[in-house]
Amino acid sequence: MPSSVEIGQAILSGLLLGGAYAVLSAGFSLTWGVTKVINLSHTVFALVGSYIAFWLLRFLGVEPILSLVIIIPLLFLCGLAMHGIIKQTAKRAKEITPASLVLTFGLFIVTENILLITCKADPRLITTSYSGKALFLDKVALPISSLISFALAAVTIAALYLFLHYTYTGKAVQAVWQDKAGAMLSGIDTSRVTAITYGVALASAGVGGVCMGLIYAIDPTIHLSWLIFIFLVTVLGGVGSIIGAAIAGLLMGLVIGLTGAFLPYAWVNLVLFISLIILLLVRPQGLFQR
Amino acid sequence: MMKKLKSGDPKLIVPTVVIAFLFLFPLMKPSIYFLSFLFTLFTYIALSESWNLIGGYAGYLSFGHVAFFGVGAYTTALLLIHFGLSPFYTCFFGGILAAILAAIFGYPCLRLRGGYFAIASFCMALAMPVITRNLDITGAATGLWMSMLPFNIFTNRMIFYEVMLTIALIVVLVVRHIEGTKLGLGLKAIGEDEETAEIVGINTTKLKMTAFVASAFVAGIVGGIYAYYRTYIHPSIVFDVFMTLIIVYMAFFGGCKSWWGPVIGAAVITIVNEALTAFLGMPGELARIVFGLTLMLVIIFMPEGIIFFIRKRRAPKKGGFASQPKV
Repeated sequence: MPSSVEIGQAILSGLLLGGAYAVLSAGFSLTWGVTKVINLSHTVFALVGSYIAFWLLRFLGVEPILSLVIIIPLLFLCGLAMHGIIKQTAKRAKEITPASLVLTFGLFIVTENILLITCKADPRLITTSYSGKALFLDKVALPISSLISFALAAVTIAALYLFLHYTYTGKAVQAVWQDKAGAMLSGIDTSRVTAITYGVALASAGVGGVCMGLIYAIDPTIHLSWLIFIFLVTVLGGVGSIIGAAIAGLLMGLVIGLTGAFLPYAWVNLVLFISLIILLLVRPQGLFQR
Repeated sequence: MMKKLKSGDPKLIVPTVVIAFLFLFPLMKPSIYFLSFLFTLFTYIALSESWNLIGGYAGYLSFGHVAFFGVGAYTTALLLIHFGLSPFYTCFFGGILAAILAAIFGYPCLRLRGGYFAIASFCMALAMPVITRNLDITGAATGLWMSMLPFNIFTNRMIFYEVMLTIALIVVLVVRHIEGTKLGLGLKAIGEDEETAEIVGINTTKLKMTAFVASAFVAGIVGGIYAYYRTYIHPSIVFDVFMTLIIVYMAFFGGCKSWWGPVIGAAVITIVNEALTAFLGMPGELARIVFGLTLMLVIIFMPEGIIFFIRKRRAPKKGGFASQPKV
């Protein structure tokens, strides 16, 4: 049996990790909810974000948080471009969900291999001045980089929530999600709104990538494991719900932390996959969906 | 489309010649490389065609096909190592085990629609390597070694070539037959609109289960033979996530609502892939980028697959000037 300090450590590091998963999932959940597109390339763009942060730090000594000034607009533009492609597909395809799965898988392969060529397959760690340092809560260590990642995640989630609920564009995004025809009838330019949705989604993915990069080492193929986790978070939180994604992300971080304390690491993923399948069967609409 | 072909039909000549040529091809003493390449091609044809039953006709995008393939591979490997049974017989046993897994997974999960089924099956495909990598009986992370057939390498490859050609041929013919039966039409109806299919009295649950279990059975058999061909299996080879995605892609590329779509898709993609890496000497990453780009272009411009794209182009325009009713 693990001791109480170990359990405390597992819970806290789980929660800190959960924040990063929450912000990674929020954008994915949003595009899935608004346009019925399951974007398999979501996390590979997040990884692009973490690599930009890594290289800026390596060559120019830019703090990962400051590098967001570049990452967010860049990935926003990527999102707009991606929306263009998806719009083209939607024109000809009978159903957008399966077509988008194949399309974004293509994008996934292309981006992953571009990363492999440009960044090589070595695992990289974003090493800042505060890496390896930690605050101590009794005997439980809280690494400063994880705390920063968590704060970043919390701010991003809050910003997304405020955007969706308190701005005109955000409300339009929600309107398109709820009823596309209705939104069109009330004079909303749905194409523009979905384009912005993709931009926001990928920009938040970039932030998520930086959050993950602060906690874990990154390599060009790691995004697949992130993708599996954000599937789980999205389904758990309910598709399209930002608050759901936030709670589900924390919950899953907790589950990962705790199963990691009791089981060998390799089995943690198995527990997650099986719990996802069971969850899909019991409540496919997610735990927090109205 | 599905006209019954009689034995004297001139339409049968071309396929018969092609198939006979393929069967007799090893007699021409081709290089081992070509035999291995064609073996891979037939493997993909069989896998993609069997996936087509559930993923194409019924529209249930299963990303778990490789799980069944891997189960077949591990079954025959273990039976060969521990009991000395030849995979050529035990591959059926592997198929049955894969079918049982499909039934256990499919019974609850085939109720899920659209993206949710895709995700659940993807999770199953990802869970399998975790299990095999951590169990001692499956060789854990070191994998399993099998003894080769006691012949020289050419004869060896030739045997596998003929076996896989036979399997692929049977699968293609069976799927072609199914397309015209009640099962095939029912699956197509499910793919078009499941609610309506249910309302008009199609037992959708039974049809989906049949298709899913049958496709898993084929994947299990193919996996069993493939394992013996490789003589070494490892979770990252037989449960390769990339493989599960490429099977789906082949069916989509060719056109997944038709029996010959996956055949065309598998053939074109395997050949293009090989040409990019082996003949043009492109590094693997660059080849994959080209590969990903073609995948995107295909789905953007021909979302229904290449054969439907061509068929639409070639179809005579209906309601032309001559056929206009005179008023």
